[in-house]
Amino acid sequence: MSTSVRQGWSRLRARMRPPRTLKVTRVGRTYLVVTLGVGLGALNTGNNLLYLVLGLLLSMVVVSGVLSERCIRDLSVRRVGTDAAFAGEPFAFRWAVTKKRGHGFALTLSEADSPLTGEGGVGYLPAGVDHVVRADLTAPKRGPVFLTGVRVTTTWPLGLFAKTRVFPLEGTLLVYPRRGYACQDPGEAERGPVGDAGNPRRNDGTGDVAGLRELFQGEDARRIHWRKSAALGKLLRVEREREERRTWVLAVDAGLTGEELERRCEEVAALAHRLIEEGHEVGLDTADGRMRPAAGSAQERRVLRALAWLGHEGLREEEEAA
Amino acid sequence: MRPGTRLRLVLRDLGTGAAFTSMAVSGQLPVWTLALFALALVCALAGRRVFAKREKLTALLLLVVAAALGLNVLAGAVNLVVAACAFAGLISAHRLLSAPDSATDGQVHLSGLLMVAGGAALSGELVYGLFLVAFGVLSSMALALGVVEASVPEGEPVPVRQVMRPLATGVAFAVAGAVAFFILFPRLNWNMMGPRASPGLGAASAGFSNTVRLGGTGTIKGNPRIVLRSTLSPDPGKEALDAYWLGRTYDIFDGQEWTSAGPQRRGSTFMVTLRPGSEDLVHQRVELLPAYGARTLVALETPSRLGNAVGQHQAGSRRVGIQEQPGGEVRFTDPALAYTYEAYSRPPGGSGHELKDLPAEEQDALLTIPEDLDPRVAQTAARVLNGEREPLAAAQKLAGWLQRELTYTLELSGDVEDPLANFLFVRKAGHCEHFATALTLMLRTQGIRARLATGFFGGERVDGAYIVRAGDAHAWTHVLVPGRGFVTVDATPPAHRASQSSVLLQRLLSFYEAVEARWRNSVVDYSFRDQMDVARALVRPPQRRGGDDSPSRLPPLRAFGAALVAGMGAYAVWRLLSRFLDRERPHEATRFVDAVEAQLTAARVQRLEGETLEDLDARLTREGHPLSPALTPVTRRYLEARFGGRPLKQGEASQFLGGLKRAISAESRRRAS
Repeated sequence: MSTSVRQGWSRLRARMRPPRTLKVTRVGRTYLVVTLGVGLGALNTGNNLLYLVLGLLLSMVVVSGVLSERCIRDLSVRRVGTDAAFAGEPFAFRWAVTKKRGHGFALTLSEADSPLTGEGGVGYLPAGVDHVVRADLTAPKRGPVFLTGVRVTTTWPLGLFAKTRVFPLEGTLLVYPRRGYACQDPGEAERGPVGDAGNPRRNDGTGDVAGLRELFQGEDARRIHWRKSAALGKLLRVEREREERRTWVLAVDAGLTGEELERRCEEVAALAHRLIEEGHEVGLDTADGRMRPAAGSAQERRVLRALAWLGHEGLREEEEAA
Repeated sequence: MRPGTRLRLVLRDLGTGAAFTSMAVSGQLPVWTLALFALALVCALAGRRVFAKREKLTALLLLVVAAALGLNVLAGAVNLVVAACAFAGLISAHRLLSAPDSATDGQVHLSGLLMVAGGAALSGELVYGLFLVAFGVLSSMALALGVVEASVPEGEPVPVRQVMRPLATGVAFAVAGAVAFFILFPRLNWNMMGPRASPGLGAASAGFSNTVRLGGTGTIKGNPRIVLRSTLSPDPGKEALDAYWLGRTYDIFDGQEWTSAGPQRRGSTFMVTLRPGSEDLVHQRVELLPAYGARTLVALETPSRLGNAVGQHQAGSRRVGIQEQPGGEVRFTDPALAYTYEAYSRPPGGSGHELKDLPAEEQDALLTIPEDLDPRVAQTAARVLNGEREPLAAAQKLAGWLQRELTYTLELSGDVEDPLANFLFVRKAGHCEHFATALTLMLRTQGIRARLATGFFGGERVDGAYIVRAGDAHAWTHVLVPGRGFVTVDATPPAHRASQSSVLLQRLLSFYEAVEARWRNSVVDYSFRDQMDVARALVRPPQRRGGDDSPSRLPPLRAFGAALVAGMGAYAVWRLLSRFLDRERPHEATRFVDAVEAQLTAARVQRLEGETLEDLDARLTREGHPLSPALTPVTRRYLEARFGGRPLKQGEASQFLGGLKRAISAESRRRAS
């Protein structure tokens, strides 16, 4: 389905959708059945007290509708988002909700028409306060999730009906591959550690302190330990161990699709995580291109993003174009 | 447990208690169900949910009570509706003692709803309405707190105080809506089967019996419960009627107790004529309330005709037959919770009987005295009368002596061998039966025919009707006066004839009765005819009856209604206007930049997503756009006006906009050429 058709279909659905949806809760169903019974009893017997009870029950329904409408009116919602979303596990997602006038009660927020499951709630929302609602959402699989709107539901005041309002709010959530344990060996490193035990510069790294020795002619003055040098009256330099950093380039074969692709993405994500945690440099080689090896959490995030987009390249281009 | 949760459960439990009480006030639920529910409620309020760990096992107890109730129904001891209501209460009690989760909450509220519906079927009392509202308020609060609590993240407090205000407003509107629905919803059937009477929680007063025994203790005089309500026509309009309401009379006294002469009449009828009427009969529409506890019809002295009796049962109203008994008593043939009937009575002054009209055995009985009557009674009577032979004068003379020489008391010593002699010569104190007995027998010792009459004395005006309390029960003497028939002479001191209960209690009960009467007329008996009256009153003002009514200084009700509607309309307009006037006005510079952007859009100047005017100007300058020289001063002036504290002067905006417009036009012409 082309993008324009899909967008057109989304717009049509949004137009067809009423501004509010009302759903009867389980308690509400029982309440309505009892109300019906009391109504039949009143009509059948003419007992005025049953008419009184019926009036109270029906008034409660009307009041419930009015109060719930007041509750979800004058609301505005924006998406704060998440730090990282991994497939198959709950991740913290946030929305900021504000009520311009009046108070809000028992609001439940969730993403509308998306595969994300889970919801967040706020018990009391005062007027004019930007309240951040946190929810633990779960995405079933890796890849971009297009978000069309935020669903705000309230069962206020009596829990008989759930009134829902959808706030149109487009966005994209990139779901990283499922996290797991890396069973496979990453293979041979592209580059070994710089230097080994015989290397005269092995103590010229940036790791832990290995010792102090006298500074030789021509050596870097930045290595001088000034306090010890002052104490002993001669220039001493700090020797630090070199890290055993290696470099791997992990690959996702171009021909993989479906489950195989998913499994490979998860393996690569797990390997990348493990290697980067150990301090190594990791690069990525995919059909989409080659990512230069680097270390650190930023690189892990880059690897995860690249893996998340694998198989969804067309959507990525649209996203970047937008 | 969070503080809000504890409060919610207490509100839920109290709401359920209110629902159960709305049934219990009918007085029809078995006492053991009341006790079980009360125990469960107390445990629940104390937080002791003793069934929390054994819910399914303890549910078997419900089977046991269901079986017990079923047996009661089969034995005819309990009505099926009552048994169903009691069972609903016990289910609710079981749920109260169970673990408080969302399912249990729903079941508790559902059983509460069923109980108030059951209460409507069982009771028509005013207190039912109070407990209905209490249930609505308490359960709504509990439900609302539950809804909010479910949305509050774990560890955060439930905003109880914030919830209460909008909820209280909502509940107030719901109650008002319920009243509006009640008034306006058309009554589609004419078969009004509203519960008009229920036994209530208090014990019924002792009724009339075939005998009156002297002795014992007089506790009934302290009972303020209302037993009779009557409207009179013509209406005497007095606040205190101070009239004698006759139940029955007694002719034969054996030294200990009074009985009546005459044969037992058989057969039931719907109208009994006791004596010929006259043109000035007083019509009474009498209601005997559940507190009455007897089946004897009561009417103002002296009753002439009684009938058109209707008995109030749980299943509704049913016509009841009546039967004449010895002693001029008229009884209902069928038992019921309460009765209504009509009676016609002769005005005070005598029954109109002649001696010859009475049956022979009754004529004899009117002079009969016990064989072992203390001779001092006759001697005292003769001494007091001192030769007076005219019956009425003699009776009044003796009554005056009794009131002077003896005192009234409700504290009696109990049964004695000769209660009359004990009263006259030993204790010299007694209650109304002693006074009436003494007068009757003293008259008889002097050859004057007399009999004992029992009924009520009093009549307190409440809401256009007269009420009589159980404490108004009284005994007095009928003296047969030639040419006038039986004339009432009361030997009891006047201050002790009516109810002897606490004045404060009586006033409270009178107030309650007035509200109850309004409740009965406006709610329980509300009908299609009342709805038509309401509609008619809204369409045109009620016609004033008669021309002699003093004009009211107050405006008519419609004027109040119109003023209320006008006030609400004005308030709505004010709210609308204030919202419009209070809204945030766009800054003048904002309007200026809007106009600039509109011109740029019309000139088809491409803008990037989220690009401000400042950014656009910078980009156009970089690109060497032909509009840039015109746009730059406009942008600079806008920024000065918006953020630089130099507002636009009069006409300055139009000057800048005109310059930009000219530049755009020039650029368009250049492109065209």
